[in-house]
Amino acid sequence: MSRTRVLVVGAVLVIFFVAGGILIYVNGHQGGQNLTFNVTVTGATTMKPDTLPAHQNDTVTVNITSDTDGEVHLHEYDIAFDTRAGQMVSHTFKADKTCSCDIEWESTGHPLGTLVVSP
Amino acid sequence: MTLAAQILLHGFGPRYDLPIATALYLYAAGGVVFISFVLVVLFAGDRVGPNATEYPRRAVSWLVPIARSPWPRIVGGTVGLIGFLTVVVAGFFGSTNAFYNPAEYVVWIYFWALMVILSGLLGNLWYLFSPWTAIYDALARVVRIEPVWKLPDVGVWPATAAYFSFACLELTTGMANRPAIVAIAAIVYTVITLAGMFLFGREEWLEHCEAFTILFGIVARFGPLETDRDEGGKISAVYVRPWGVGLLKPAPSGWDRVLFVILMLSTLAFDGISATPAWQDFTVALKGYWLPLGAFGLFAVRTFGLILLTVAFLLIFITFMEAVIYLGQRKVDLKATVSSFALTLVPIALVYNAAHNFSYVVVSSQYLIPLLNDPLQKGWHLWPAVASFTPNFALAQASTVWYADIVLIVLGHVIAVFLSHLRAGERFRTAQRALLSQYPMLLLMVLYTMTSLWILAQPITRES
Repeated sequence: MSRTRVLVVGAVLVIFFVAGGILIYVNGHQGGQNLTFNVTVTGATTMKPDTLPAHQNDTVTVNITSDTDGEVHLHEYDIAFDTRAGQMVSHTFKADKTCSCDIEWESTGHPLGTLVVSP
Repeated sequence: MTLAAQILLHGFGPRYDLPIATALYLYAAGGVVFISFVLVVLFAGDRVGPNATEYPRRAVSWLVPIARSPWPRIVGGTVGLIGFLTVVVAGFFGSTNAFYNPAEYVVWIYFWALMVILSGLLGNLWYLFSPWTAIYDALARVVRIEPVWKLPDVGVWPATAAYFSFACLELTTGMANRPAIVAIAAIVYTVITLAGMFLFGREEWLEHCEAFTILFGIVARFGPLETDRDEGGKISAVYVRPWGVGLLKPAPSGWDRVLFVILMLSTLAFDGISATPAWQDFTVALKGYWLPLGAFGLFAVRTFGLILLTVAFLLIFITFMEAVIYLGQRKVDLKATVSSFALTLVPIALVYNAAHNFSYVVVSSQYLIPLLNDPLQKGWHLWPAVASFTPNFALAQASTVWYADIVLIVLGHVIAVFLSHLRAGERFRTAQRALLSQYPMLLLMVLYTMTSLWILAQPITRES
């Protein structure tokens, strides 16, 4: 392959990747907000709402009310909500990691929902 | 941290990556199409004839004594044996929770994900690390081993069947996160492999029946290292070459080899697709058929899905190859042509593997470190300094992963298109025929690459 064609291909790819990097950067940096989620867990099997959307570096407060005693576990952030039937349990944390973080009923491993932290 | 046992992605372990943002997905998809047409325009008329698939390589003389030395194989084989013994011992005597069992990390992360990635980047690492060749070669030093039987002409069908079985263990059985099952599978495969090597001959068995030898041999063709051997089989020269061009070297042809490459693509795609809402809808639509099967039901529907995807990929590939040959307007051997073009799809499979497993490898692999203190979860304190180690998520931030995914996918696509172009020039001999034949191949590669991007952009769902 001639040198000119290699250079043209290289230039096209460099432009594409630089533009992609700019696109990612522009779409990011939306965090830094204070978010509060009021969540209800029923029968240790369902959670409403089941998806909690946030951006990186948001300060997130999750208030969980369960009709059953037990632990609701937020993975990746490793936060345990020790719930008592009818009582609200709250945790506040900084969402410094992007993830699709699973939320489970710890004793059974049953999936309840997801905290989605986007860039 | 506890393991979410229902998640069967990658064999075991939670998933840390986010679906690619829609805007980025559309940008990458559009870029793939645009860059493909740029490549076609630039490549038109370039390099046709028997020499089209020749590539530059540079001799690296200082690597020759290293390549000839027995020590890389001795050290690599020892590491491979330690890995194998870890799988067996930890599998039987360690924790039943996959997250706390080193066997799971050794098999699914360090061997299955990481070694494939590194072999594509560096060369055939399996040649160094295979525990079975290590055992055989060690025994051959003290005992004279002669083959007892002649292996029939089976091509690589046995290896293809073994590879499919391994993929089923990972993706469809639901057993991949059970360390004892993984250990049993490792032992069974070891017995079969060693017996085959002893009875039919080392090279005969490895080159026809050992799945990972075939797999890593294909992957290593993408790698940058190449060797020449003299008449006695001794390495006479070591070369470095551009990534990917090794896939243009002459290779055995056959529908068995085509199916093996297609399986590489389909098993990787299935790993991703099985975590998408589309897969969930598919299983729900078929639940009337598999629910009555009880515990066997999920295995049945997943295996059916994997077979369906493989057959679809194969039929699509053959259809497009018929168009390639028709437009190439030259009488060529169908089997040899299809086999040679199948290898040009390998870059797409390799980059998708790297993109799909990126955060799995950079984050999940770190969870093995604290286990080194108490690998069998017996309350030991072998290495207290690592007991409280927590993984670093720096490389797993979504923006980093997304950017790496896009770069990898597009680079793999460009390499695949380029290799396919050179192969067409070699097969169809004139610039016009080569260019015409490349339109269906280009469309096929755009489809495969778009499929990879689509999977990476899907919301991650979990089976329950």
